[in-house]
Amino acid sequence: MSEQAVISEVPGVFYRKPSPDEPVYVEEGQKVKAGETIGLIEVMKNFYEVTAPADGTVKAFKAEEGDVVDAGQEIAVIE
Amino acid sequence: MIKVLKPGLQTTVQDNGRNGYYALGMPPSGAMDKFSFLAANLLVGNDENAAVLEATYLGPELEFQTDAVIAIAGGEFPPKVNGQCVPLWTTLAIREGDVLSFDFVKQGARVYIAVAGGIEVPVKMGSRSTYTLCGIGGFEGRALQKGDVLAIGERTGPSPVEGTAVPVYLRMKFSKSNEIRVVMGLCSYRLTEEARRKFLSIDWTVTPDANRVGYRFKGEPLDFVPRKQPFGAGSDPSNVTDLGYPIGSIQVPSGIEPIALLHDAVTGGGYVTIATIISTDLNKMGQIKSNETVRFVEVTLDEAIEARKELNAKLDEIKQIIS
Amino acid sequence: MAEQKTSSTRYELGGDEFIFVELSESMNLEAMFKGMAITNGLAEEKLDGIMDICPGNASYMIRLNPEVIHPQEVIEKLKKLEASTTDYENIAIESRVIDVPVLFEDPWTHEALMRFRKNHQDPDSTDLEYCARINGFDSKQDLIRSIVDYPFLVSMVGFVPGLPFTFQLTSQEKQIEVPKYVTPRTFTPERAFGFGGAFAVIYPVQGAGGYQLFGTAAAPILDVQQQLPDFKESMVFPRQGDILRYRDVDRDEYDSIRQEVEAGTFRYKTEELSFTPGEVMSDPQAFAEKVMRRLYHD
Repeated sequence: MSEQAVISEVPGVFYRKPSPDEPVYVEEGQKVKAGETIGLIEVMKNFYEVTAPADGTVKAFKAEEGDVVDAGQEIAVIE
Repeated sequence: MIKVLKPGLQTTVQDNGRNGYYALGMPPSGAMDKFSFLAANLLVGNDENAAVLEATYLGPELEFQTDAVIAIAGGEFPPKVNGQCVPLWTTLAIREGDVLSFDFVKQGARVYIAVAGGIEVPVKMGSRSTYTLCGIGGFEGRALQKGDVLAIGERTGPSPVEGTAVPVYLRMKFSKSNEIRVVMGLCSYRLTEEARRKFLSIDWTVTPDANRVGYRFKGEPLDFVPRKQPFGAGSDPSNVTDLGYPIGSIQVPSGIEPIALLHDAVTGGGYVTIATIISTDLNKMGQIKSNETVRFVEVTLDEAIEARKELNAKLDEIKQIIS
Repeated sequence: MAEQKTSSTRYELGGDEFIFVELSESMNLEAMFKGMAITNGLAEEKLDGIMDICPGNASYMIRLNPEVIHPQEVIEKLKKLEASTTDYENIAIESRVIDVPVLFEDPWTHEALMRFRKNHQDPDSTDLEYCARINGFDSKQDLIRSIVDYPFLVSMVGFVPGLPFTFQLTSQEKQIEVPKYVTPRTFTPERAFGFGGAFAVIYPVQGAGGYQLFGTAAAPILDVQQQLPDFKESMVFPRQGDILRYRDVDRDEYDSIRQEVEAGTFRYKTEELSFTPGEVMSDPQAFAEKVMRRLYHD
């Protein structure tokens, strides 16, 4: 199986949950479909969705809840 | 015509701004980084006030349905035509059917896309700039959406030849830590000496709450000189009798997290204002991203006016090179 | 050379493009009328390089192009204007008196203020109840009565396009004063009638806000599409110097005004009025009666 990086398209603050009291969008090891939301980037008072680029399994997250990320930074790996 | 395949994060039509309506509560809007905006227009032979696209943090994907001359200037958003890299700060020839897209932003926050003839949208109160809060100007008063089709205006003159470029030493420069020059004043009499010193000496971090309306900063609390609050001001020590806010003014609600008001800002209100970013440094401010830092450096009015002259000289040099 | 009379006025720079002049830290009729006279005086001079003249409440602001006129030169000019503005009490102001219908305790601002109770000084009462209590009124009805009994003067337009800051034309001891929300709301309904510091306002568009919420104005004050007859010349209706009389209406009248607005036929009831600041300051009660007569009987 090939690995594919999930890249943040915008700079901002990364979140794995839709809101602080809700569970994460996906756990590591969970299967996702292409286009499925796996996290959010807070930017300019708004939230920008981070989506899976392909069907597969989330192998690992490379950014933690609340991390500041740059545009182009790897956020997760999908296998 | 230009078709919007992907809008980017927030891409709006902007020109030099809607000036002269401040007393009605109408902020000027207009390009946040006027230097890059102007350079892009010069590179395609436009009038200096022609409308361009301003993209923030994420570039759009645009399909040109006609031949066009374009230029892209501002933040380092690597542009591509049909997937091939093309240079920034350069006159580019586009063929009908070409698709312009961008790689992830490397430096800066905003990029300007000028098209010879300008982006054609109705002029509202003297300007084509978008003011999204009231839905005034620009393309239907809002940021671009997928599927929008933009018209290109009549060209007013010839464009520079393809490949004409602004030399590197004249382009915007970017850094993760920045100095922004301010003139102290407005209601700075409200700050204690220590707060004033602190304001001018610490590194302020830009929060995610940063957009065309204003930038909010994290740092340390600033104290005010104790007083009995004057009639009409409100009870918080940071309240003043509601007054006008200049573009670039810095206010400090409750003494925490200063806010620099920018081109789409509120024109007045009841929070104490302590300093104003000089007009030339608003360009730089508009290219700073969340989580980068700013140090405010006090300058005199004469120094601010001198900075305007230097900027104009730089623009004149660009005009010389291009023509 | 004769020494200029010293004043407590602050002349401050707002970077290289703005001048901010604070006539008084506190709100009062004298500062407001004096500011009006000075800004009108500057407008009459039609100086090159002056881009905006923005009268404020107890202050004003000028935007200029420093390539055309040096900010210091403008400050010197403004100081001279202030020194020569001694007779502002007797300068006639050509004004409009306008009937502004307001539905107090309406469902929309009620929903908003309940949603942001934790941002408020007194989470257990409504904004109107709280403000009535701290201003020494026996009931919220008494507070509403005191708002509608005396007209308000538009002392500044700003914050967002068209928002009128209005200051009541009454004696200082009868002025209502309320704090702003402890933490601003992120939502305020369109046309909300609010009160903060010494000012009554109408929010033109939905958005953030920190003023106490008392009601909703029936008609718009900003019409971006310029469809109503009152907005043909400008999308913003209120002008500095206008006199607004807030009139409490019931739900039936509110609804019928809304229908007129929707149909594009609504017009504000407006009358011309010439008055002097001295007239207002010496006998606010007589002036209020004059406004009411002009608006409803003449």
